[in-house]
Amino acid sequence: MNYRLTVNGRETEVDVPGATPLAEVLRDHLHLRGTKVGCGTGRCGSCTVRLGDRAVASCILPVGLAEDEPVTTVEGLAAPDGPRHPVQDAMVARHGVQCGACTPGMVMTLATFLDAVPDPDDEQVREALTGNLCRCTGYHTIVDAALSAATARKDMP
Amino acid sequence: MTAPGLLARSEIQAATSVDDAVARLAELGTEGAPLAGGTWLMRSARPPRTFISLQRVAELREVSVNGWGALVTHAELAAAALPPALHAVRTAARTSAFPQVRNVATLGGNLSARGFAEADLVPALLALDATVEVATPAGRQRTDVEAYLRVAQSSGPALLVSATAPAPMGRFSGYGRLTVRGGGEYAIASVAIAADLDGARVASTVRVAVGSVEARARRCPEAEALLTGTVLDETSARAAGRAAAEVLTARDDLLAPGWYRLEVLPVVFARAAADCLAATPEETS
Repeated sequence: MNYRLTVNGRETEVDVPGATPLAEVLRDHLHLRGTKVGCGTGRCGSCTVRLGDRAVASCILPVGLAEDEPVTTVEGLAAPDGPRHPVQDAMVARHGVQCGACTPGMVMTLATFLDAVPDPDDEQVREALTGNLCRCTGYHTIVDAALSAATARKDMP
Repeated sequence: MTAPGLLARSEIQAATSVDDAVARLAELGTEGAPLAGGTWLMRSARPPRTFISLQRVAELREVSVNGWGALVTHAELAAAALPPALHAVRTAARTSAFPQVRNVATLGGNLSARGFAEADLVPALLALDATVEVATPAGRQRTDVEAYLRVAQSSGPALLVSATAPAPMGRFSGYGRLTVRGGGEYAIASVAIAADLDGARVASTVRVAVGSVEARARRCPEAEALLTGTVLDETSARAAGRAAAEVLTARDDLLAPGWYRLEVLPVVFARAAADCLAATPEETS
C-alpha cells in the first residue's frame, strides 16, 4: 500500500505494509536516522517523534495511522541552517547527553512537553520523562536541561 | 537498524463507519482484527493478515458527560473534567503507561486487548459499573464490562463502540496502582474503588475491582462486603486489601512473583481509597 506522509514539512510517499512501524519507515525508507529504535516495543522512548502535537512511540505506531497529521522528527525540530531548539541547546549546556542513544527521543519528548506546559516544575518534568529511559546520566542533568530550556523559551522574542 | 520480519507487517484497511468495520471483520474472520492506536497489537507475536483501522470512524470519538467512544485516548480521558463518581477512570488513564503511549492508546483497545492483565482502565470501569455498546453483524447490544471481557477474549467480529458509566450524586471513586519505578510501567497490582459515601464517609453500594494480580481484572466481593457500612479510610481500605489477598490467585511474571502482588494489596487499596476521598467535600473545601 502507498502511504502519504508529511515529515518535517515535506510530503513523501512510501509503499509498505500498513502495519510497518513508523520508526522503520523514517529510518530505512526516508533515511532519517535521528529517530532511534532501542527496545522496539514502546517502552524506552528513544523512537519518540511528534505526530501533530502529540509525542508518540514511533516503533509501535503503524505507518498506516500516521497519514492524517504531520510527523516531526529530531531532524525537523530546527532548520538545518537555523539556531538549535532551546531543548537541544540546554541538553548540551547542562550535560544532558552522554552516549546519545536516548537523546533524540528525550529532545522530542521535552520539546513537545514544553509546548503544552511552558513553565513546569521538577516533578512535572520527571513525570513527562517516564517514557524515556537513559542508561547514562541518572536523569538529573536532563531534568536540569528541561528546566533551563523552559526559562530560555520564556526569554525568546 | 531495525530487523525486518521481526515486527508486525500486516496490511491495514481503513473502515469508514462502525457498520463498515463490522462487515469487513466478519468477512476476514480470524485473518482480521480491529486496530485502534496499535500500542498493544503492534507488539503481537502473531498479528492477523489484515487490520481494520478505526481511525476515521468519527462516531468512535464521541464523548459525553459520562460516556466515551472507543477511540478516546488515555491522554484525553486523563484531561477530562469528570464528576467524582467517575474519578477512578481519570486516575487510571492519567497514571497508566507514559505519555507516548497515553497519547495513542485507546479505551476500546484497553478493554479489548487479549491477555492484558495490567490494562488500567479495566478495573476502573468494572468498579464504575460501566456498560459498553458492542456492534456485531446482528446489530448493537449494550452489555456490562464483565460480559464484554469474556467476549473480547474469544474471536468473533464484535466491535466495542463506546463505554458509559452512571454518575449519581454522592458517589465517589478512586484508583491506585503500584509500579517498580515511580511510573511508566505496568502495575504490579491496581485497585479501583467506587462507593456511595454519606456525610460521615460511610460507604454503601461498594464496588471494588483488582487488576494485574490475576490473568484478568475482576471484582472482589469479599473486599466490597468488608467496606460496606464502614467508614472509608486508610484502615478500612487496608483491611479490604487483606481480604482481597485471601481470595485472589496471583500470577507470577518477570515484574513480580504472585506472593508480592498479594502482599502489596493493602497499600494499593489505601491508595485507591485516598484517591476516592480526595474528591469528597471535606477534602476539597
